[in-house]
Parts: sequence; C-alpha cells; structure tokens
Amino acid sequence: MRMSNNLDSLPKKKILSLFMTCGFPTLNQSKKIFIEMLSHQPDIIEFGLPFSDPMADGPIIQEANKLALRSKLSTQQSLDLIKYLSKSKNNTSFIIMCYLNTVRKFGLNKFIKNIKSIVDGIIIVDLPFEEEGAIKKSLSKNNIHLIKLISPMTDKKRSQKLLKNSKGFIYYISATGITGSNKLDYKEINKNVKSIKKMSSVPVLVGFGIKSKKDVIDISKKTNADGVIIGSALIQKYFDIKMDFNKYLKSLKKFILEVKI
Amino acid sequence: MKTYKQPSAVGRFGEFGGMYVSETLMPLLLNLDKSYKKIQKDKKFKKELNDLFKNYVGRPSSLHYAKNLSKYINGPKIYFKRDELNHTGAHKINNCLGQILLAKKMGKTRIIAETGAGQHGVATATVCALFGLPCYIYMGSKDIERQKPNVFRMKLLGATIIPVESGSKSLKDAMNEALRDWIKNVRDTFYIIGSTAGPHPYPKMVRDFQSVIGKEAREQILKVEKKLPDYLIACVGGGSNAMGLFYPFLNDKKVKIIGVEAAGRGAKTEETAATMTSGTPGILHGSFSYVLQDNDGQIKEAHSISAGLDYPGVGPEHSYLKDIKRVKYYGITDKEALEAFQTCSKLEGIIPALEPSHALAYLIKAFKNKHKNKVVILNLCGRGDKDLFTAAKAIGFDADE
Repeated sequence: MRMSNNLDSLPKKKILSLFMTCGFPTLNQSKKIFIEMLSHQPDIIEFGLPFSDPMADGPIIQEANKLALRSKLSTQQSLDLIKYLSKSKNNTSFIIMCYLNTVRKFGLNKFIKNIKSIVDGIIIVDLPFEEEGAIKKSLSKNNIHLIKLISPMTDKKRSQKLLKNSKGFIYYISATGITGSNKLDYKEINKNVKSIKKMSSVPVLVGFGIKSKKDVIDISKKTNADGVIIGSALIQKYFDIKMDFNKYLKSLKKFILEVKI
Repeated sequence: MKTYKQPSAVGRFGEFGGMYVSETLMPLLLNLDKSYKKIQKDKKFKKELNDLFKNYVGRPSSLHYAKNLSKYINGPKIYFKRDELNHTGAHKINNCLGQILLAKKMGKTRIIAETGAGQHGVATATVCALFGLPCYIYMGSKDIERQKPNVFRMKLLGATIIPVESGSKSLKDAMNEALRDWIKNVRDTFYIIGSTAGPHPYPKMVRDFQSVIGKEAREQILKVEKKLPDYLIACVGGGSNAMGLFYPFLNDKKVKIIGVEAAGRGAKTEETAATMTSGTPGILHGSFSYVLQDNDGQIKEAHSISAGLDYPGVGPEHSYLKDIKRVKYYGITDKEALEAFQTCSKLEGIIPALEPSHALAYLIKAFKNKHKNKVVILNLCGRGDKDLFTAAKAIGFDADE
C-alpha cells in the first residue's frame, strides 16, 4: 500500500478542481484533453465515468456522457486512461466521480485493484451515507478517500453524521440543483460552508454552477470556502465552438489559465 | 411460510430496494418517509382517502366473471378485477390520490410526475386539478407521439407537459428528467412517482396505496366463490397494479401468483422490456432491482408496444418476490398481447389497455384446456381507449379520419 494520498496535502486556500468526462468526445480526444488539463497542474482532476442514466447531472454533462458512450466506451478503458495519465500526475490529486451501478457491475474489488495507488479519492454520486458501509471500508483499506457531498438540504444533525471522520475534502453543492445550474447564492453558501467548517477540518470545495473567473473570485472573496469545482463550464466550451476539437483545446487552455487565481 | 413483512425500516425487500440518490435528495426522502409513516396512523387521512376512493374514483371496482373468455379458454373460471372502470381509466388514480393528500399535508405547492402510457400523467393531472396545484408532467417524446389522446387529456386538465428528448425518449428518460426537476426544486415540489419503483419510500408507499385493489378483490371473491382464488395474474412494468393485487394475498401460500412482463419482440432479443426474464440486478432510479443492462452496467433501452410497460427496470419488491419464488414471472410478446387485446374485446365487450393485454395473453396461452375448476383473478388495470391508434396501426387498420 502506498503511504501518501495527494488529497492529504491540498493547499490551504484557492483549491482548483477540474471535472471532465472520460472518453468525451472520443477516447483519443479525451486523452488529449486530460493531458492539457494536467499540464496546468490543477490541485484536483475529477474523472467522470460515463453512465447511461446520470440522473444527478445537467444537460451538458449528460451530453458528454452520451458522446463518450457512443463508441461503447468500457469502464476498463476509462480506468486505463486514468492509469496512463497518472504517470505524470505529480501533486495533482486524482478523483473518480461515478454512479454506483458502474462500480457494482465492474466488481468493487476489481475496481479498487485498478485504481489503488493511482486515484486518491472517489465520489459515488448516488451512494448516500446510509448505504456506504462496506464500500467505504474497502476504499479506506486502500487509502482511497470517499468524498462526501453536502447539499443545502442537509441539516446540521445529518451533516454531523456525514462529516464524522471525513477525509480529502467536502464537496458542497452550491445550489439545490443538478450540475451546471445557474444561480449562486453567496450568502447561503457562506453560511453553510462556515457551519461545515465547524464540524470538519478538511477543505470545503464549492461545486455546481461555477462558470467563470468572476464566480471563482467571488467564491474566494465572499465565502469561507477553500476552493471550487468546475465541470459543466469546461465541457460547455466544446459545444460553444461547434465541436471543433482543435479550437476547443485552445479555448480550454485559455479558460483554465483564467480560473487559476 | 413466515408472515410477509417487507420492506425493512430502510426500504429493503431482502437485498433489493434501498435509497440510491444524491445527497440533494436524501434529506427529502427521509422527510417523506417520516411524513408517510405519520400519515398512516392518521384516521382523518384514511377517511379522506376512502371518501375519494368511493365518490371520486368509483371504488370498489367490480369483480366481473368473464364467462365468455372462460368458456373460450376451456380452463379455469376467470374473474376480472375491473380497475379499468376507475375514474381516468386505470389503477393509477388510487396512488395519485394518496400521494397528493400527503403532498398537501407536507405543505408542498408544486407537483411533478413522469409518465409512460400517459395513464399516470392523466391521473396526476386529475388530482392536481381537483386539489388546485400546478402540475408538470415529464413524458418521452416517443410516448407523446403514441399516446396522443392522453396528452390532450392532460392538457385539458391544466397540466404542463414537458417532452423528454434524451435516451430512448420513453418512460426511463421521463423519470430521469423528473428526478432532475426534483433535485432543482427540492423546496416546494412533491414528486408523485407512478409505480412501485424509485428510491424508498416510494415502492412501499405506492404498493400500500394500490393494495386497495387486492383487499377488495379478496373480499369480493370470498363472497362469490366462498374461497380464495387459485391464481392471481397481473402485468408488470414498474409493477404497481400487480403489487396492488398481489400484496394482500402474499401470506396465502395456496394462492399462486403470476406476473407478466412485456417481452417486446421476444425476451431473448434486444427489443424487450422483460426485466426479470432478461435482466440482472443493478441500480436504476434510486433502487436496487433487476434491470436491463450491459456488461458495464449501462442501462439498455427497453422495447414494448405498450408504453406503460416500456421500462428497463422493475419495482424492487418484484425482484424480491421473484428471488424467493413467491411470484413467477413470464414474458409475453407484442404480437401475443395484440391478439389478446382483440380476443378480449370480442369475447367480453371490454377493450383492455395493451398493458393488461399482456396478462390476458399469458392466461389464454398457459391456461388453455388446463386448470379446470380453478379460479383466477386477473387485474384488468386499464382500458384501451388510449391505445386505439397504436393498436390500429399494428393491426393494419386505417384509423385516421
């Protein structure tokens, strides 16, 4: 077992986490996208494993999933892509974001065997605290952190339960919405992030609905959050430039440089 | 057999069921579960629901001895539990009334629902009109096309229909979109799920509201036959009409129970909706149950001529009942269902929906010249008005003006 987990040495402030769907828009192009992302050394890269029914994701990530699955991308191919990229990961933390059925069908043990000493954490979107038991145990044995999501609907009592012994970071869902929603309520975010920080010492990252450099700066200035997660906005660019891949890589680069504050 | 007592406190039917949703929904589901438990003990709620059942829906629905069909099959004595006579033409209204009363009690002001055949959409739009709540119905664009009469009904009832263009553009995708809507509007919205599917407490709650079917059928058959039935038969998509009929009989081990799935063009083909015949356990729409999926756990698209059965999942309680072998499940193809649709219409003067036509087809096929002196109750859970165009097209009759 490896000794260290990159998530345990995240910087104190302005943490940047970038989400991208594996295999989008094609497996080869996806590799190029991740290489570009990795070259900027963000604190965290989140690898989305495509799923046919991503019920917690908005239309942009849904479309990315659909494009990735067009060519029958397998879970193994996604994991191999992550493995390939891990050779140059340095201090960047690798996170997998997926739905439970993907892990279940692949086989939990086989899944862990494929990702251990490569991936630092995992977010299983549809695995709530109540159902996590055995999975969390196997992950922690292999020093992979199960990242917790807290939503504005999670009350204090429930947050306390969820945040006990939390590791890596806390994913705070900034809007009661699906990924890529639009409204950011800084007052509410600040209030809730503060309350989370009283219960846990790991960094709190704000995700859902962060679209621009301005959003990133506002989160940093107006709230107590330790960083941001950007996902849909990265993918949206592909559709904005009418799916011209070379142009997309350039605009992706420009955008990442902008949001690295 | 031990007394049947499912699900567990956390919504497990054996290993099936559970709550597999994002943290945005968890607090809501836990709250819904709490509110539902409370309301079950509320006498006023029960009385209100029973009054609506009686005076608005027209319950109890009758138990009709299908003499001509019985003679034709030359087998058992066949009774139809006629939930197609309910207001709105199917069993769906039973559940919608229960859930909207609960929504009212919880102070929710906006209702959403998914629909496949449109029966649940119509029932939801109906109760929303009755209770004066705004209603948003998610419906796959493929289903909008093949269930036009129901689309118009929903519009007349004041509902807003939101076409779903993703995936197979049918029931599964409508449910994805409704869940997404719920995540976005958690504070004011109540999601009326129409089947015994989805995360806990829905499978239990929907079953409980639908079990009025089985309770009535039990009393009615005891009255006319002075004994319990030998067989129960119902069609299974998500499985709410079937659970409604089966549940009050699960402890009667002498009553044999059969669920009929839609096999589309054949249970062994890719164009099927026979989840328990052709699927494997997996997670879809927040619950662990049999699903149609590939080796990587990607959910497959289902196919059935009947929009109400065109779903790649099934309620978790059916998965459990299959695994403990309390209920047997069989598949019936589009073609067989269409034949039964016509046979029933001609013989009994009842045009059934394409959904129960699957149950009828199984009955005709498997009971022909067999099981004499036995008694069968078949849940005729919906009427065929909504299917006239689909059926006409499939049979080759020009129904256009």
